[in-house]
Amino acid sequence: MTDKNPISPHIQIYNWHISSLISISHRITGIINIIIVTFICFWVAFLLLGNSNYELVQKFFEGYFGKFLIIGTVWSFSFQILSEIRHMFWDLGFGFELKTSNITGLLVIFGSLFLTIFIFILGRSLFI
Amino acid sequence: MINATKKWIFLKISSAILVPLMIWFLFNLVSFYDKNYDEVLLFFVSQPSKLLFSLFIVFAYFYSALSISEVFEDYIESEKIKNVANKLLYLFAIIIPILTLLLLFKLSL
Repeated sequence: MTDKNPISPHIQIYNWHISSLISISHRITGIINIIIVTFICFWVAFLLLGNSNYELVQKFFEGYFGKFLIIGTVWSFSFQILSEIRHMFWDLGFGFELKTSNITGLLVIFGSLFLTIFIFILGRSLFI
Repeated sequence: MINATKKWIFLKISSAILVPLMIWFLFNLVSFYDKNYDEVLLFFVSQPSKLLFSLFIVFAYFYSALSISEVFEDYIESEKIKNVANKLLYLFAIIIPILTLLLLFKLSL
């Protein structure tokens, strides 16, 4: 017998709105983030190999692609943080009105870009 | 309380814990990612960063496993495939953080 478990409406059926864009981006960045966290775990493992082997990792992060990867990581996490905060407000019963939902959606998009720049500048100048 | 409610509560608690840990980790990540071996090692072996990073890894995998299983629930029709995908996901979310924590506690200056 074939399984008749209902699944979510396909993303191609409905017109795109800010809320649907944020929703699918929240899921995509969530999956990307756990892949990034897994790479960070490998990074920790690489430290066990010692100083001489680590030069390769340091050279990679000093390059443009390494920097791009770190900035991308900060954006992806920033997006997830702001989107998660938006969900928390929904869980408390706030922000369901269409206008508010659109505004908070835009705040997540533009706020994540601002947060990325803020974390990068402040993190580079204040820590270590 | 049904399982879906328990899962939702765990998801919300873990996300509330994870948000400040993510902010803390990002500030540190941008400060040490291109540093030399000794400076990067110092971050992972010294306290409180060792403890906070351990918590970050545990909660990141816990939260991700719960939220990705929601994606499976929404988009995988077959119960059989969904069960296998969930089991593999939970196995991955248990093994990787345990291995990382073991490695982390093996690291020393």
